[in-house]
Amino acid sequence: MSKLTEVLLNLRNQMCRLGNPLFFAFENIGKDTLAGEWSAILLDCGEIINNQQIDTGEAWRLAIDKNKESMPLEESDWTVISEFGEMLGKSDIQNQESVLDLARENIEILEREARETAKINGKLYRNMGVLSGAAVVILLL
Amino acid sequence: MEWGKSDNRHFIELLSSYLPDRIRQAVGLINGEYINKLEEIRIRKGLPLMGVFAGFDYFIGEKGSLSDNPGAALFVSPKEIESLFLLICEHSVYAFQNEIAKGFITLKGGHRAGICGTVVYEGEKIVAIKDISSVNIRFSRQIKGCAQKVFPHLIRNNHDIYNTLILSPPRLGKTTLLRDLCRLISQGVPSEKFNGLRTAIVDERSEIAAIYRGIPQNDLGPRADVMDGCRKSEGIEIMLRGMAPQVIIVDELGGTQDAEAVRRAWNAGVRLIATAHSYGVEDLKCRLGVGKLIGIGGFERILLLGTDKGKRWIKVMDANGNELSFLDQDSGMHTGLFGLHSYGNKSVKQACRETAYIVKTNRGSS
Repeated sequence: MSKLTEVLLNLRNQMCRLGNPLFFAFENIGKDTLAGEWSAILLDCGEIINNQQIDTGEAWRLAIDKNKESMPLEESDWTVISEFGEMLGKSDIQNQESVLDLARENIEILEREARETAKINGKLYRNMGVLSGAAVVILLL
Repeated sequence: MEWGKSDNRHFIELLSSYLPDRIRQAVGLINGEYINKLEEIRIRKGLPLMGVFAGFDYFIGEKGSLSDNPGAALFVSPKEIESLFLLICEHSVYAFQNEIAKGFITLKGGHRAGICGTVVYEGEKIVAIKDISSVNIRFSRQIKGCAQKVFPHLIRNNHDIYNTLILSPPRLGKTTLLRDLCRLISQGVPSEKFNGLRTAIVDERSEIAAIYRGIPQNDLGPRADVMDGCRKSEGIEIMLRGMAPQVIIVDELGGTQDAEAVRRAWNAGVRLIATAHSYGVEDLKCRLGVGKLIGIGGFERILLLGTDKGKRWIKVMDANGNELSFLDQDSGMHTGLFGLHSYGNKSVKQACRETAYIVKTNRGSS
C-alpha cells in the first residue's frame, strides 16, 4: 500500500507537471524499480490504453484483474483502488490533481486501517499463543 | 505526388484508432474512387456524418454511401462524440489542454482534429473548450517536389538563399510550398549544386512539421530543428539564441511583433522564408508591420500564388515587385476551392481588388 502512495505521487508528477499522456506516464512509472509490485499493473494498463479503444477506467480494472492474485490485498482494498481509475485522464490538470490527491488520501486511510488491523491481529495471535501454551501446560499437569 | 492520385486508405487506417466503431466502419466502406478525394471528416453531435471530398460536402451513410440527403446519413450520437474526443486526446485530456484551448489537436501522421464546443475563459484567456459539439478531422499531406521548380529562383549561391516571402489568398498551398522549400533547403539540392543549410522552423500552428509526440510527421530534411507551438516573435528569438540557424522558416506573418522579429533575424545575418495571407504585393504593403518588410532592405524574393482555370501558377518577383519568372505548370498541388469550383484567375483578381479596396477604405476612414 505504501508503495502505491509513492506510485500515485509519481503519477501526479508525470501527468500534472510533465504533461505526459496516461499510457506514457504508466509506462514510465512501471519501468521504474520504485514501482515495485505495482509495476506489472501499471505497464499492463499503459499498454491497454495505447492499443485498445477502451475507457481508462476499464483499462485500469482489466490490468488489476490480471495481476491482483499475486498481491496480498483485500477485496475491499481492490474496490477502492479500482474506482480511482474511472476519473483518470478525463479532465484538466487541476481536476486531475484533485483526483490523484483524493486517491492518495483514500489509499493512506486504507494503509492506516491495514496497519491497525495488523496490530490488533498481532496482539490477538500473541495472546492466543500464550493462552494455547498455558492450556497445553495445564493439560500436561 | 499528385493530388487525387494518392491512396487515402492508409490515412484511414492510421486514423481508425481515433474513430468510434460506427464511424470507423462507415468511413472504411466509402468507395475507393471517393476515398482518395476525402479531405475532411466532419463529426457533429446529433447530426449527420459528413465528409468533404475535393471541396464538396457529402453526407456519409452507415454503409459508406455518399449522399446530398442528410436523412440518409449516419447520425452521430453524443456518446460517440465524447468517445471520439477522449480517443483523440489519447485518454489524457489534461495533456492536451493547451491544444484544446487553441481549438485543435495534432494527430498521428500530422493530421489535425479541429474542436468546437463551449469556450471557458479565465480572464481574457481561453483556457478550455467544454461540451464538445463537433470535431473536424482534416487530412494532412506533404507534397514532396512541389517546390522543385521554384527553388532555383531562390538560390543566391551554393550555400546561401534569398530572403523570401510567399503570398497568396487562403487555401492555395502556401504552407505546402513552404514545407517543401524547407525540405529542399535542409537536405540540399545536388542538381543545383546547393548544399543543405541549418534550418530552424518556428511552427506556431503546428502545420509545417506537424509534431506528434515530439517527432515531426513531415519530412523536413536532415538539418531542420523545430520549435513547435511557439509564437513567431518568441520562437525566432529563441532559435537565434540557441540553435545558430542559417535559415529560419515561419508561417503566416502578421503583426508588428512578427515584423520586428524578422528584422532581428536579418540583423543576425540569418535568412528567412515566410508566408503571409495576401492577394498581392500592394495588398500586403497596406498592412501594418509586415507591410514594411516589402521593398528595398526587405524580402528579396516574393512568390505570389494563384490559380487560373484550375491550374496553379507561381509568380516570382524581386524586392520591387518586378516579375522574374512565371511558372504556370501544374506542380501537383491541390488547387483548392478556387480551382475545384472553377473560380478562374479573373474571380481571384476581382476578389483581390475588392479586398484591397476594403482594406484601404477602412484605413482611410479610421
